[in-house]
Amino acid sequence: MKNRDLAFWLFLTPVILALGIVVIIPLVLGTFYSFTDWNGLTITKFIGFENYRTLLKDTDFLNSIWFTTKFSFVTVLLLNFFGLGLAILVTQKLKSSNFLRTIFFMPNLIGGLILGFIWQFIFVNVFGNIGQVLGIPSLQGWLSTTTTGFWGLVILTCWQMAGYIMIIYIAYLQNIPNELNEAADIDGANSFQRFRHITFPLVAPAFTVSMFLTLSMSFKIYDQNLSLTNGGPFDSTQMVAMEIVRTAYTENQLAYGQAKAVIFFVIIAIIALTQVYYNKKREVDM
Amino acid sequence: MKKMYSLLTTGLIASSLLLSACGSDSTDDSGSSSAEGDKITLEVYQGKVEIKDQFEEMIKSYEQENPNVEIKFTAVGGGTDYLGSLKTKFSSGDEPEIFSVAGPSEAEQFTDYLADLSDTESAKLALDGTLAAVTEGDQVLGLPYNQEGYGYIYNKAIFKDAGIDPSTIKTYDDLKSVVETLDSKKEELGIEAVFALAAKEKWVIGNHLANVYLAPEFNNNVLEAYDAKTVTFEKGDELQQMLDLQVKYSIQPTLNVDYSQQVEQYFSLGQVAMIQQGNWVFPSIEQMDPELAQNIGVLPIPVEGNEGSIPVGVPNYWAVNKNKDEEVVQAAKDFLDWMNTSEVGKDTVVTKFNFIPAYEGYDASKIADPLSKDIYEYSTNGNTIGWVFAGYPSNAWGDILGANMQKYIAGEMTWEDVINDSIQKWEEPRN
Repeated sequence: MKNRDLAFWLFLTPVILALGIVVIIPLVLGTFYSFTDWNGLTITKFIGFENYRTLLKDTDFLNSIWFTTKFSFVTVLLLNFFGLGLAILVTQKLKSSNFLRTIFFMPNLIGGLILGFIWQFIFVNVFGNIGQVLGIPSLQGWLSTTTTGFWGLVILTCWQMAGYIMIIYIAYLQNIPNELNEAADIDGANSFQRFRHITFPLVAPAFTVSMFLTLSMSFKIYDQNLSLTNGGPFDSTQMVAMEIVRTAYTENQLAYGQAKAVIFFVIIAIIALTQVYYNKKREVDM
Repeated sequence: MKKMYSLLTTGLIASSLLLSACGSDSTDDSGSSSAEGDKITLEVYQGKVEIKDQFEEMIKSYEQENPNVEIKFTAVGGGTDYLGSLKTKFSSGDEPEIFSVAGPSEAEQFTDYLADLSDTESAKLALDGTLAAVTEGDQVLGLPYNQEGYGYIYNKAIFKDAGIDPSTIKTYDDLKSVVETLDSKKEELGIEAVFALAAKEKWVIGNHLANVYLAPEFNNNVLEAYDAKTVTFEKGDELQQMLDLQVKYSIQPTLNVDYSQQVEQYFSLGQVAMIQQGNWVFPSIEQMDPELAQNIGVLPIPVEGNEGSIPVGVPNYWAVNKNKDEEVVQAAKDFLDWMNTSEVGKDTVVTKFNFIPAYEGYDASKIADPLSKDIYEYSTNGNTIGWVFAGYPSNAWGDILGANMQKYIAGEMTWEDVINDSIQKWEEPRN
């Protein structure tokens, strides 16, 4: 216990305080509120699991979970595909590779809200006009249907995050010893075989990291959703985070919104933990 | 458990001390009743950011006249959620003296805090009907900010070029034939469509458009709507007909048109002849094209049996916090009265805030913009339709109806289902 002296706690306090104030306390308080009829001002009674029973029948909430799941599935696949692809591209011996890295990473530096508005303009006006000139009806009226709204969100998210995921893959790709590739080359392995049997297994830890990141990120997306489609048309592209905010602040049911948030937290925790667990196991196997 | 709690509290206090030490240069923020001596501090907390500078200017002259009163003004709004921050303020104990509520459902949430204002001068001068939403028994719980109204805002030049006299438009059929005429002359008038319907905004269709056809069944009374257990859509067919008309002759696809495109792009650039909006669009249009802004007017949305009326309502009410010392409450009332009755106050309200006054005794000729002038005229002549959407159920029913109407526009819901589902969603929270 020697190291648990005053200095130990002194150094730890800021972190614990920060974590406590912005994460732990709100989580505990929020869970408590979800069992009441809190309206933001007063609690009149403790209603047990009433809020949770209601939300199981709430089609808006269930729809938003389903929409978010579909969205996350597609974005996680695409993001990792593009992330790895870009990483492989910029780790080739290209003259412009540093420049390209910067370019690919740049969208990530722009805030989600602004990106949403920019892409809204692209989808609605640019796509619309190109479609009109070239006579392609499928480019017109983007974001006014559920399908185009969905793909709009997917494109926006991939465009924004692929560069970030790329950075993670680059770090792992550069750690692959060159001898392995050279040896395989001498043994007559073609480039696909080298990728399949050397690169791919060795970047497996990067999959763990980036799948965790992309999955939790795409589940929690809010600002892009808000500025690009704002849930429209008719709330069909509304993701869970947005649905919760709407329940709490627009419909003014704060306790009920809080209950949804608790369920949302549990879902994300389960998915993320399972996924990390299985990916870790795979790493060991190889 | 208790120990942990006290530990937590200690931690919180310690951290708040740290935090407040950082911001020690700010002045005394007790904000509550008479602080030092006789000086009364009033905190005004409200949601209209666009009037901030003008309001502070007005406060200065009030403080000069009343040296014992100090007024702090905070405007929260625009991008931030006013109601949420107001609740936070109340639950943290830092309660403002004067704040704003928007209609009966918000008033009910703050019912423990609202002082009776029926003895104020302003309450006596308020125009007929403007107090309805905040009257409970013989108590008046709020004082109107202003009035707002909406209808079809039209471009006078385009109407003139097409040879249409807007004063002849009374009934739905009149409007329809005008729309058809405009549509047939699209090329020569240089417009892309007759309307730009911002169907992407649920409030434009669910709150505003629907209100015109729902108000009659609640006798134009927001409180009647607020207490209604159900809604019947007596004029549902007329609503459908009007929605169809706007959709058919609008910029397509309507589900993609949002408020700023509707106002700033399509209307301000003269690409459409009419939009369904209210007097609040004036500053945007003026910014885009000051010349056009002086050459627009507002047409009523025709309802059978009540043609020629404009939906006019009060978007916000001033409220006074009654959990303060009596003298503070009185000072707050005095300030509100001063704002609505003194020359400086009245002048600020009309010329600086650009409000349409909700009280008697104002000089209408001072109203600068043509839309507000039109609406004030309709209002003083009594040609109004109530704003019942402030009395919609608290589950954001206007959004629900709006979303259903969007589905109808997209062809994913029949009109019958729109009505039935909306009725059901009205009844759910009220039974």
